[in-house]
Amino acid sequence: MLSAHDVTRSFGGLTAVNHVSLEIGPREIVGLVGPNGSGKTTLLNLLSGFLAPTSGEIRFDGTAVRARRAWQPSRLGLRRTFQLPKLPARMSVLEVMLAGGRLPAGASPWRSLLTPGAVRREEAAFIGKAMGLLAEVDLAGLADHPAGGLSGGQQKLLGLAAALMDDPAVLLLDEPTAGVNPSLRRRMADHLRRIREGGTALVIVEHDMGFIGDLCDRCLALDKGAVIANCRPDELSGNQQVVEAYLGRRRPGVPLRVVAGGAVAGTVDIKTSGARA
Amino acid sequence: MLEFCLHVLIMSAIFGIAAVSLNLQAGTGGLLNFGQIALFGIGAYAVAILTRAGLPWPAALLAGMGAAALGGFAIGRLGRDLAAEYWALATLAVAELVRLVALNEDWLTGGPQGIGGIAGLFPGLDGMSRALATLALAALLLLGTALAARRLGQTQFGRVLRLMRENPDLATALGHDIVACKVKVLAIGGAMAGLAGGLYTLYLAFIGPDQLLPFETFLIWTMVVLGGLGNVAGAVVGALLVTALYAGIPFLKDVVALPSDLTGSLRVFAIGSIVLAVLMLKPQGLVPERLRRFHAQRP
Repeated sequence: MLSAHDVTRSFGGLTAVNHVSLEIGPREIVGLVGPNGSGKTTLLNLLSGFLAPTSGEIRFDGTAVRARRAWQPSRLGLRRTFQLPKLPARMSVLEVMLAGGRLPAGASPWRSLLTPGAVRREEAAFIGKAMGLLAEVDLAGLADHPAGGLSGGQQKLLGLAAALMDDPAVLLLDEPTAGVNPSLRRRMADHLRRIREGGTALVIVEHDMGFIGDLCDRCLALDKGAVIANCRPDELSGNQQVVEAYLGRRRPGVPLRVVAGGAVAGTVDIKTSGARA
Repeated sequence: MLEFCLHVLIMSAIFGIAAVSLNLQAGTGGLLNFGQIALFGIGAYAVAILTRAGLPWPAALLAGMGAAALGGFAIGRLGRDLAAEYWALATLAVAELVRLVALNEDWLTGGPQGIGGIAGLFPGLDGMSRALATLALAALLLLGTALAARRLGQTQFGRVLRLMRENPDLATALGHDIVACKVKVLAIGGAMAGLAGGLYTLYLAFIGPDQLLPFETFLIWTMVVLGGLGNVAGAVVGALLVTALYAGIPFLKDVVALPSDLTGSLRVFAIGSIVLAVLMLKPQGLVPERLRRFHAQRP
């Protein structure tokens, strides 16, 4: 569905993404993990067409993704969300949802003025769909409230729901659970699984290893812009390179001890649930 | 006195159209067009030139709207990759460019003297009935423009414009081509501003480069900011208020014996003070933008 071939992106002297190739299949859920600054978000920006690669190529469903037309992938069924959604203060929750839909009559100035009936029918259908999606993320009661007035976590949920208005084939999520409370987080995992069952592949940038392990079929671990592991989530903790990327290299001769909750733990555990690893 | 009131109302309606146009661009779309007077001027000069060439005024007015829409399209394309602030400065420069062309291309625009003696509206009528007919026409066109602008603000087109105003990246991520949206709203706003400019020319039977000074753009901005950015009714209220003040203050000299050069400065001072007061007391304007709610349509 979505593939990257030998993609590199540099900012001046810094190579944020370094010769990355990957392939996302239909209905797959892929986690993208790695320490801060490892290039996860840059990779997401490249995959979604928001950034042009310095070299290499990204293809979605047979079409090249080009940053000059960053809006195009979204129309073809490749959508993304943002780490910080920054939703508009002067638009209601429902209006943000409708903006995520495809309403060709209302989007055309001519047809807005000349065919009010078609505009109304189209809007009514999408309002129904929007209310259904809002109910999934507990926001239906806030449909008429300003979107920018929601809490950070709620804004993330709304950003996700708005992206789903056009039934994307691939959805790229940038830290969907940051700022979302634990009970809603569990429900969100169920929600994302249902989205997959509906036919959408998911790529999730996430620091919550519990969430990743629970949800993903496969994980890509990044460090310094390069893919250092491509494996099942439960295999991550056994991967020496991944552990080193997160926790640092072990000095020879010094036994590695991770202090957790006051007790000295003997094993390395990268389930950094909740922490900003 | 009645004639003066009619004059103020006609001018309010004409500038109301220009303010509704700016409100659609800046209030809904977030495009800081500081060259609004250029679009107005393109419409005004097009109507002057075409009526002088013998075209009937309704046809000239339509052509003026078309020319100004092209102007809007051009400034949208021209600055498509500029950040908002730089684009705003570029529009100011474009407006000065248009004024300088009007000032210097004597063969087409009459140069500094402008174009006068234009066959105005309703030549068959005279005096009061002519003013009333002009007012009816201007009010009708203002109503049509305002309803169209309101409608455009409510449908998906306006929704995308508002999203573009507040978070262009999100609009792009949801599949909206924001350059195309900008160009469309500037062309539509251009057509509206051109209509206002054409009416102005037809009403005063004159257009000159002094009507295209940057100050005129700021006057239209004042109307929109006073009334409330993002609300069509606000733009109309603002236009009425500013026009009444601007046209009314010179008459103060008849009432309180002020020297005429003082009244000229006084009106600028009065408008500045009112803008300051509104910005401090009611920063959203007299008629603020409202959220669109859907209670009635809820399934």
